[in-house]
Amino acid sequence: MQKGLYTKIIFVIVLLILAGISLYPTFQFTGLQEKETALIKQLAEVSGLTKAQIEEGLVAGDLEARLRKQAPAASIDQAVELGRRLTDLSKKVNSIERRAIKRGLDLQGGVYMVYEADLPQLLRNLAKNPDDRLNEIIEETKKTVEERGLDFFSVLEDNFKKRGIELNRYFGRKGETNDKVIAELKKEAEDAVDRTLEVLRNRIDQFGVSEPMITKQGNNRIIIELAGIQSIQRARNIISSTALLEFKLVQPAEMVWSVLDDIDRVMRIKQKGAAAAQEDTAKTKSATPEGPKAKETEVSLSYLFGEKGAETPSEDEKVVVDENTFSDRPFSSLLRQLQGRNFIAVPMKNVYAVQRILQLPEVKEVIPPDAEFLFGNAPMTLGEEQYQRLYLVKKEPELLGEMLSDASVQVSTGSTSLNAGAPYVSMELNSEGAKIFSKVTGMNVGRELAIVLDGKVASAPVIQTKITTGSAMIEGSFTMEEAKDLALILRAGALPAPLYPITENTVGPSLGQDSIQKGQFSAIVGFILVVLYMIFYYRLSGVVADFALLLNMVFILAVMAAFHATLTMPGIAGIILTLGMAVDANVLIFERIREELRTGKTIRAAIDAGYGRALVTILDANITTLISAVVLYSFGTGPVKGFALTLSIGIIVSMFTAIFVTRLIFDFVTSRYAIKKLSI
Amino acid sequence: MMQFFKETHVDFLKLRRAGYFFSGTLLLISLVSLLLHGGPKYGIDFTGGTSLELRFEKPISAGEIRSSLSQAGYGTAEIKHIGAADENQFIIRLEKSAEGTQIGQVVEQQLRSSFPDNPYEVLMVQEIGPKIGGELRRAAVMAILIALFGILVYISWRFEFKFAVGAVLALFHDVIITLGFFSVLNLEITLVVIAAFLTIVGYSLNDTIVVFDRIRENLKVLRRENLYNIINISINQTLNRTINTSLTTLLVVFALYLFGGEVIHDFAFALLVGILIGTYSSIFIASPLVYEWEAKTEATKGKSAILRKA
Repeated sequence: MQKGLYTKIIFVIVLLILAGISLYPTFQFTGLQEKETALIKQLAEVSGLTKAQIEEGLVAGDLEARLRKQAPAASIDQAVELGRRLTDLSKKVNSIERRAIKRGLDLQGGVYMVYEADLPQLLRNLAKNPDDRLNEIIEETKKTVEERGLDFFSVLEDNFKKRGIELNRYFGRKGETNDKVIAELKKEAEDAVDRTLEVLRNRIDQFGVSEPMITKQGNNRIIIELAGIQSIQRARNIISSTALLEFKLVQPAEMVWSVLDDIDRVMRIKQKGAAAAQEDTAKTKSATPEGPKAKETEVSLSYLFGEKGAETPSEDEKVVVDENTFSDRPFSSLLRQLQGRNFIAVPMKNVYAVQRILQLPEVKEVIPPDAEFLFGNAPMTLGEEQYQRLYLVKKEPELLGEMLSDASVQVSTGSTSLNAGAPYVSMELNSEGAKIFSKVTGMNVGRELAIVLDGKVASAPVIQTKITTGSAMIEGSFTMEEAKDLALILRAGALPAPLYPITENTVGPSLGQDSIQKGQFSAIVGFILVVLYMIFYYRLSGVVADFALLLNMVFILAVMAAFHATLTMPGIAGIILTLGMAVDANVLIFERIREELRTGKTIRAAIDAGYGRALVTILDANITTLISAVVLYSFGTGPVKGFALTLSIGIIVSMFTAIFVTRLIFDFVTSRYAIKKLSI
Repeated sequence: MMQFFKETHVDFLKLRRAGYFFSGTLLLISLVSLLLHGGPKYGIDFTGGTSLELRFEKPISAGEIRSSLSQAGYGTAEIKHIGAADENQFIIRLEKSAEGTQIGQVVEQQLRSSFPDNPYEVLMVQEIGPKIGGELRRAAVMAILIALFGILVYISWRFEFKFAVGAVLALFHDVIITLGFFSVLNLEITLVVIAAFLTIVGYSLNDTIVVFDRIRENLKVLRRENLYNIINISINQTLNRTINTSLTTLLVVFALYLFGGEVIHDFAFALLVGILIGTYSSIFIASPLVYEWEAKTEATKGKSAILRKA
């Protein structure tokens, strides 16, 4: 007996140690995270950056660069020092976070989105010769599916059968069986979703969320979960902006120069005031920006914008301008003309200034309504400097990515102007696209055609000849990887099945903070109430039950941490509910022991009988609750799942703590001390 | 020894008619209210729609928000001030939307441009398409039915079919009355509330099974007693436990209700009502129903099947 008792005690202690190990990162994480929050706050005060900007910098890994650029000169050293500390701390926090209990979106803020492939549209796109009858069938299928929640394709098949039409009349090849056609359609839909999944993964990786979850649900849904992001709007933009591909004609050089002249004039007025500018009007026609070797000097951004207090430029906001032309041509002097050709490049240092100038309303006014400036999508290196190309293109696209039917990576053989072995992306247009492409290329030989992806120019090849085959290509200094990604994005842009969002849940970070605080507070209040009640009612035995309850809490959290389960607000509710219900087992046992004592049994016998008889009841009662919790878990989504998870863990853990651990304490006490009266 | 009741001898079965009457009244009120309201009032989780929770920096009135939304064509939105009076926190709720439209963003844009000098913080946005709403509704009903079936099977196996039916009927009783409370108070059924319902099912059953278990045990021990007395004795013997467990659970759920915050408020309310009803039903409904059925069988066949079996 004694020996068995000690084995059991050691067993419980080992479990406790394991729980401690499992929970340690969570404790550590909470402490470090508080430190991190405090540091971010401090840095925000010192540097003048917003919290969101700092977080973004942390994620992107360029916090120091941002601080150098944006923090006021007086406190820049302090800010950079704080920034370094924050970066180190944040790395530590991130590595610990992986081992801590995962918090759900509702507890740390974030976005949850479900996208679905538009199957009806997919079918219409895939159909060989869509007509009214097909539309009718598709609409009917859509309605049935929405009302009754059946599988789209099987309803479709039924609807075809009902009308006595073979599916191969619209899809697949002649003579193919319905089964085969349906299988092909299914594959097509799945393929579309897979491609979109890839694109979204790419984009979200660029966004740099710590633990993004992008999963496929069923055949045609995509679930995206981004936890703990500060700028929800930005996340949304990145995810839901389509991989928009456009072909836009680059405007001729003469137009570019005249627009630059106009912008220069506007900027001069801004700088020197309207009167001074009028005198200058005459001189503007002459010079164009010189080559990259022009004599350069640095001026401040605020001077450029004609703002006050601009006499002493601070280190952080300098731009490089062409000294010779700066006073005459404040805008053009930010730009460089390269290689004697008609393309303009912006030194990386000036990109921000140029962007800002182009955003000015008075500047927007002088840009012709049918034209727009676009940047290139990747910086180019010339000599020692990095440049971003700037294009003036026709606003109206000649051709859209929708007309793309395929895109793939090719490797150049080296016979053309391309470097041998360099990858490029080749695109196939559908018949409509090919027709338009042929017309556009035919009419614009010698002009550049910009291939614009999501508002940035991927490349702008000169049209050499009319292209009638419907194939085009994007060259550029891609690595193989980049070319592959581009091809992937382009294919996704030409998705046969458009995706649309069906659910979007966003929780702001401050609500998450709120939820945690409230959850913790109510848990503590609930716990104290139960603890007091049990001591009040069962005296010392109540203390034993309370100890078991505390263990119960510790083990629930430890199990969650060990399995990296997600804790949500309803999950906290589940734990709180467990608090109330966990003592039930002890109440059953104690009541039973009291009954046995009343019949005159000895303390030991009463304890034995109490535990023995209560056990069956406890099992029956808990298993039934477990049944509903498991059903909740398997059928529930989101909040319900979190609740069911903690409830299930709670029930199982509480059976162990309330039966095994309390029994152990009773046995230990009664075997060591000669107890005359049980405090129960 | 602290104890609420010492050796009670309440004739619960004699009180069963009063119990039926009380339950009948509650059920009637619930059903009438549900009928008048055209079924449960589903939240946007189940119907689809948009809900935004925003906190403005400066004071603003619901009327100002409404007139801004009217310009964008959303004049019918439900606008509710929440939180403390000095917090400019609002819930804006819009009805069903067409699949794939993102009203939330339109509304956010509209408010931003209407009140440029009163920026807001987005606390929560939910945008749920009608299709997924329908799916969730089906899934919720399925979940409850499967849970009930599982319980029915388990109790039939551990006890007897009659007990299982008594327990499951008591569960329906609890769920319908809790649903009735929600309907009368015009509260919405959300996913979280469904979770609460299933918890009530589990909890109420817990209670019922403890009583059943004692009945089963007493059937063996008190062979001389008739079923009427055995059921009464069993309920009395477990009374202290029933009260204690319900009290501890109510204590924590009450803490949840008071301090758990907006998100969990309705959930805690459902639990509060459900636990009270569940405790009541396990004493006044579940066991008496088993007795009722058994007494009928006894009248036709002569002797109680349950007693004979024991």
